[in-house]
Amino acid sequence: MNDTDTTTERGLIKRATGIHHLDAVTHGGLPAAGATLVVGEPGCGKTIIGLQILASALARGEGGVFMSFEEAPEQILRNFDSFRWGRQLRESSRCEILDGQAIKGGAFSGGFDIEGLLAVLDHCAKRVEGAWIVLDGIDQLLRRQPDSQSAIDQIVQLNDWSIEQGYSLLLTGKHTGKDRFQPDHLGGIEFMLNTILVLSNTLVDKRLNRRFRIAKYRGTSHNPNELAMLIDATGIQLPYAEPFAAEAVPAAGERISIGIERLDSILEGGVYRGSITLISGQPGTSKTTLGAAFVAAAAGRGERALLLSFDEFARQIVRNVATLGIDLQSPIDSGHLKVVARASWDGLVEEHYMAVLALLDDFQPDCLVIDPASALLKSSGADSAFLALERLIAVTRTRGITTMITSLSEADDPFGESSLSHASTLADTWIVLRYQINGGERNRSLSVVKSRGTAHSNQVREMILSSEGVDLADVYPFGSEVLMGTARAQKESEEVDLRQRQVKERFRQQQQLELEIDKTRASIQQGQAELERLQEELLAEHRDQTATDRGADHHQDSILRRRNPGQGGQDQ
Amino acid sequence: MNSAPADDAHPHDAVLILFVTGEAPRSRRAHQNLTTALAASGIGDAAPREIDLLGDPQEAINFGIFATPALMLVDASGRRTVLYGDLSDEHSLKTFLSPLREPRR
Repeated sequence: MNDTDTTTERGLIKRATGIHHLDAVTHGGLPAAGATLVVGEPGCGKTIIGLQILASALARGEGGVFMSFEEAPEQILRNFDSFRWGRQLRESSRCEILDGQAIKGGAFSGGFDIEGLLAVLDHCAKRVEGAWIVLDGIDQLLRRQPDSQSAIDQIVQLNDWSIEQGYSLLLTGKHTGKDRFQPDHLGGIEFMLNTILVLSNTLVDKRLNRRFRIAKYRGTSHNPNELAMLIDATGIQLPYAEPFAAEAVPAAGERISIGIERLDSILEGGVYRGSITLISGQPGTSKTTLGAAFVAAAAGRGERALLLSFDEFARQIVRNVATLGIDLQSPIDSGHLKVVARASWDGLVEEHYMAVLALLDDFQPDCLVIDPASALLKSSGADSAFLALERLIAVTRTRGITTMITSLSEADDPFGESSLSHASTLADTWIVLRYQINGGERNRSLSVVKSRGTAHSNQVREMILSSEGVDLADVYPFGSEVLMGTARAQKESEEVDLRQRQVKERFRQQQQLELEIDKTRASIQQGQAELERLQEELLAEHRDQTATDRGADHHQDSILRRRNPGQGGQDQ
Repeated sequence: MNSAPADDAHPHDAVLILFVTGEAPRSRRAHQNLTTALAASGIGDAAPREIDLLGDPQEAINFGIFATPALMLVDASGRRTVLYGDLSDEHSLKTFLSPLREPRR
């Protein structure tokens, strides 16, 4: 037995199939020793699973054996050349493809054994040193048994032999009825095998929907749900196979611009990195423009942004938003932005989901816009488009991709539309765009319905688009409404007039005050001059007084000297 | 019944090959039933060649025989026809062997 790529769970050794999604839902692969039955209607992918597992083994440097009871080896190789791994089957020396279809032309007389088959398989597996053996269309051989019990016994024999020899044996068989675990002619086989995979096809809106289910995987945990299945050039895809790792979701505290300065202000600096923003609105309310502004801002920061459009073609978007001053061409040219258009009607929901995942894997964007995500509702699919959207949001959250999804609202009811009922609960920030019809005109409005972790304004604001870009107008409440459009412009004009009048009045008051000041200053100057004159007059008076006083004293002294000559006093 | 050119080992005469797997009961029964049928048909000298696939699985690949027992008839032109099973259905076995009773041309 080849021990490569095996895991052990509760004693059961599993061998990885190399089909990523199949290994995910089987929690590690199929039994490393034992048979797995793959049953389904014609054309539902049974042979592909077998050959893809074989090709994966070859790619890992292992060998494998494939025997078809329905098609010739060359026909098989030709059919599978279109798969990316098809060449591996043709070119590998460790790939043994056996032609078992000769049985179809044989006649039968009584029962037969399969020991010869087992001897051949063992011989070939040892020759290529392979652990995988695929018997494609085993029912085509065993239905030739004269009684079904012999056929079932030989399925059990195959299972026992593969366990004993340590081979991973894949048996495929057709059934033609719904919800059947066993191939036609092999009723009861489901009780004999531990591992059964059921493939089915369903037409939904005339489109083929493939389904996959692990009907039985005894002794091990696995995903038991019926899952959507796709077949593309890579082979089998199970879009919803990956479990969601909630603990892996980061919670960044960094805020990043949404591309509109005033909206960033309302959101206290923008949205959280890695968060989900929902923009909902009726047709023509500029959802795409907001998305374009968002990716342009991201590219402007040097980040990688992906704009996925289900409404418009890439060049049209670039052209249209350029008229609003949003340049997408430059970041496209620099490799920071990728704009991808998909037609929602041109694929299943699961196909769109896988295509978006492939874009995320390939481009590794920091920011993502899906415009409008509600277009997925137009896609066919047995699974809900909401499920795809929720899974997609879970993926972007886990990867820390800041995501904006837009959603088309029903007319006049942006809050009640069905497309929002799920997505709005998943979004961290929900912005509603509307038309406000007042005074015979239609104006765009924006309001933030919710923004987790943000004390945002609940004010409805007019959104203005111009060649300068997108902006939010000042708010002019009028009763219970907010003035918009011409009414706002008129109000703004009145405000300007009022401000101008106020400026003029203030200017006049200032001039009046300055005049008063000048007059007062003149009065002060005049008073100061009078003061100085009076002070000088007083000073002169004081000087006259002093002179007079001195003259009087001198005269008195003369008189006294004349009255007392002995004392030397004598008038001259 | 399928028809395919025989390999170069049996280009001329009609040849019977019985593919068996050891001593498996069905293989033993097929051997017995074939012997009986050949004798009953008066062509007991046909002497079928017997190949045990357990001992030589590559022969199974060469002849495209994966269910045993299997009786292969390679006619003079090299075309092959195969009858699978333990040959317990006398009628189908008799029909299968009927070309051996036809005069050689």
